[in-house]
Formats: sequence, C-alpha cells, structure tokens
Amino acid sequence: MANTAKRSTRWKQDFPIPSGEDSYATRREFTKFLGLTSVAFLAGTCIAAARKLWKRATASSSDAVSVAALDEVPAGGSKLFRYPTEDDACILLRLAPDKFVAFNQNCTHLNCPVHFESANSQLVCPCHHGYFSAEDGRALAGPPRRSLDALTVSVRDGQVWVQHIAEKETA
Amino acid sequence: MSPKTRLRHRMQVVLHMVMAFVVAILLAQLWLFTVTLEAMESHDASSSIVAAALVCSLLGCTAVWALIRFFLGTEARQAD
Repeated sequence: MANTAKRSTRWKQDFPIPSGEDSYATRREFTKFLGLTSVAFLAGTCIAAARKLWKRATASSSDAVSVAALDEVPAGGSKLFRYPTEDDACILLRLAPDKFVAFNQNCTHLNCPVHFESANSQLVCPCHHGYFSAEDGRALAGPPRRSLDALTVSVRDGQVWVQHIAEKETA
Repeated sequence: MSPKTRLRHRMQVVLHMVMAFVVAILLAQLWLFTVTLEAMESHDASSSIVAAALVCSLLGCTAVWALIRFFLGTEARQAD
C-alpha cells in the first residue's frame, strides 16, 4: 500500500501535471467568450431578420390565385389548398353563404395541420389540442399562443380568390 | 491604506461595473434575438420591428466589444 503511494508520487514528481489549473480560465479568455457570445446573438438576429424579409418578399410577389368555385364549398364546409407554393398547406372555410376565410393550415405551436370543426366554428390541432377561432384565426386554447396566418379572400366571377395580406405598417 | 491600494480598489469597482454592463447588454441581445425569431414566425409582425431589433443588436455588440477593450486596457494598466 505504502509502496503504491510512493510509486504514484514518484511518477508525479517526474512528470508533473498541473491538473488544478485545467479548469482555470483567464479574464482575457472569459471576456473573449462574452464578446463571441455577443457576436453569436447578432448573427442569429441577422439570420432571423433575413428570413423574415425573404418571407415578406416572397409573399408580396405572389399574386392572387383562384382556389375554388363558389358552389364547390358548402356553408360550414372547408377545402384544403396549397399557397403560395406546393409546400404551404392552407385551408379555406365557408362560415356563412357569403363569408369565406382562409388560413395557413399549420398550427403555430409545432406545425401540425389543423382541421375545421364547423359545429364549434373552430380550427382544431389534433396533436396537442390547440384551438383557434375560425372567424379570425386567433388562438383560443391549448399550447398555441399565436394566431394562424390569415389570407385575404375575395369572390370574383364565381370563383374564390386568395392572396397574402399586405403587411401593416404599424411600428 | 496607501493611495496606490485605494486606486486599485476603485479600479476593481469600475471593472465590476463594466462586466455588469456587458452581461446586461448580452441579456438585452438575447431578448432582441427572441423578438426577431417571434417576428420571423408571425406573418402579422411588421418588418420595422425586425429592423429595429437588428440595429439595437448591432449597437449592443459594438458596445460589448468597446467595453471589453476598455476592461482589458484598464486591467493591463493596473498590472503595470
């Protein structure tokens, strides 16, 4: 036992390893870390801003499209369509004979597709039981906190047309 | 306490304040990042909010680097 301890101290004397300083960071290193953290936040903000502006540019460049004939969707009914690209699922609702609304079909919680419950006039996300108003898409209950993205709907020549809502210049 | 020691203690206080500023700016930048992410997800959010958040984050980053330079410069002078 004593021999083992003696041997271990012997090699430590021969090859000293300052393990106590392994986790030591100088002030300079620490401030460098803080500065790089700041740059990382700035880079993240830049990327998010670029994506927002890209989405806005895409939305403003997309024209109105006809998604259904007027008599294709009965009152209290719904129809799924894709807008502005094939990857963007949307849902058209006919709440009354002369009232149409359309929303992006992806739940604002975790992107599950919502479906229409005409009895309650609500859009329901089956994944985590999120509820949205069918009137304006606002979140009513469940995990989602943000409203569904609404589309502008108009009726012309017996067809239902949808388009992205122009951005409000509020700020 | 000698004048030199007193000065050194004062400088320590200044350095702690600088570090507190840096941490506060970093927290503000984190908040701006979350605001921008929220705006990116929401179609209703205005682009002006995103632009304002971006400018503020840029100013924050510049301020952090300026404070760090001041911090390290003061520390070097203190060591002399």
